[in-house]
Amino acid sequence: MKKYLSVAKNTWAETFTYRLNFVVWRFRVVLQLLTIYFLWFAITIKSDNIFGYGQAQILTYVLGTSLINSFVFASRTYGVGNEINEGSLSNYLVKPVNYFMYHFARDLGDKAVNVIFSIVELSILFAILRPPLFLQTNPVLLLLTIVSTLIALILYFFLNFLIGLVGFWSPEVWAPRFIFMIVITFFAGGLFPLDILPSKIFAVFKILPFTYLLYFPLKIYLGQLAMSDIIIGMFVSLSWLVCIYLVVKFVWMQGLKVYTAWGK
Amino acid sequence: MNIKKYFKVWQITTLSATQIAFASRFGALIFIVGKLLRFAFFLFFLVIIASRTKVVADYSLWQVIFFYATFNFIDTTAQFFLREVYRFRAYVVSGNFDYFLTRPISPLFRSLFGGSDILDTVMLALSVIFIAVSAAKIGNINLTGIFIYAVLVANALIIALAIHILVLCIGVLTTEIDNSIMLYRDLTQMGRVPIDIYREPVTFLITFVIPVGIMMTYPAKALMNMLAAQSIIIAFVIGGLFLAGSLKLWRLSLKNYTSVST
Repeated sequence: MKKYLSVAKNTWAETFTYRLNFVVWRFRVVLQLLTIYFLWFAITIKSDNIFGYGQAQILTYVLGTSLINSFVFASRTYGVGNEINEGSLSNYLVKPVNYFMYHFARDLGDKAVNVIFSIVELSILFAILRPPLFLQTNPVLLLLTIVSTLIALILYFFLNFLIGLVGFWSPEVWAPRFIFMIVITFFAGGLFPLDILPSKIFAVFKILPFTYLLYFPLKIYLGQLAMSDIIIGMFVSLSWLVCIYLVVKFVWMQGLKVYTAWGK
Repeated sequence: MNIKKYFKVWQITTLSATQIAFASRFGALIFIVGKLLRFAFFLFFLVIIASRTKVVADYSLWQVIFFYATFNFIDTTAQFFLREVYRFRAYVVSGNFDYFLTRPISPLFRSLFGGSDILDTVMLALSVIFIAVSAAKIGNINLTGIFIYAVLVANALIIALAIHILVLCIGVLTTEIDNSIMLYRDLTQMGRVPIDIYREPVTFLITFVIPVGIMMTYPAKALMNMLAAQSIIIAFVIGGLFLAGSLKLWRLSLKNYTSVST
């Protein structure tokens, strides 16, 4: 376990190697948040209730998306495809490390940076903009929000890892990731709460794994889900987690059979 | 400046970039589909918001689509012609930028236009279709409006060019930042909707300091006859100032280039 802690620490340190670059990157994160925040602010300012959301709830959703995004979507697994293509995967295969655990530890290091800076940035934005926010006080819902976020974190890790495994069969690892990021941002509810969609489309979304990455934890936090919906949601997300884990394991084993380390 | 020679250089570099882009046809296809999906998803979002709430700064659905299509046209045209800027930092870090300086063509031209991105042509065509359809749906458009629209789009592209030159300057002056062009992309995203919807001082900042509004919102407003004459003049003044300023900074940054990577 100690070695994985070191990996997480190294990832943390890596992030600060190019400090100016880091500052620009964080500035971009804030800018992206402000763009969507101001858009929603403009939409909600003229109407107290929009799609069943009050202004405080929708703005909490937008800002909450940013925070959960930094926790769930921060990942270093984008390197998996390249490591396979370049043959550097061999370095890990011959070492006494679990490749999955190694990347999960890197993810945790990355997430720690993201979460800490997101909290600081959101606090500053809160002090400047003073948005009306919804504060959840029910400890059970807060606990369920944390649990669903942790499930989302692991689910996203395996989804992302799976995309990287394309590298076993194709040198084109960036293009699938590009489309994956576009699809996931939309389907996870990064642009808007998914339940504003027409009910038939939303019903389809509810059976997809992406819904449980951002939308579901935030809906629990906002207290807009009945306990039965939360239980069903937890069951669906855990089922997806198990399915995708098994698929990743299977694809990994198949990939190792065709892996030739030809980049080395 | 020999335009014929430079056109030839652009043709050759674009052909090479195209061959690279299609080296993996699967990858090229995925990229095109990804761009189309990105366009469609945000359009879908706008349609839902504008059609069901009527609150996007009092614009009609087709007007909102027209703003978005214009944004996409300007954004994609800049990306299509100026894709080489995204690769510039690698040239400086690897020392290959030195070769740009020793060749008998302008290093600025080579750094800006050295390989257009053919994958953007699909998005360009789609943007034009959406501009034409939404403009027809809006109606009440005259020839003067179309002319001012075209000129303001050209002005927007000049501002985009100037900002890309500034990105090159940052690349020459410091190799530490590798995502300054993405910062520009993030800023311009604010122009996907008419900038009137934002609050002050944001509207002021994205109109005059970082002229996203002048680039993305002004042309569409001019076509809809919603733009005052003085705003059009300000747009051209800012376009000219940005271009002159960026060219000056480019010369200055070249003087400070140390060729340290070579």
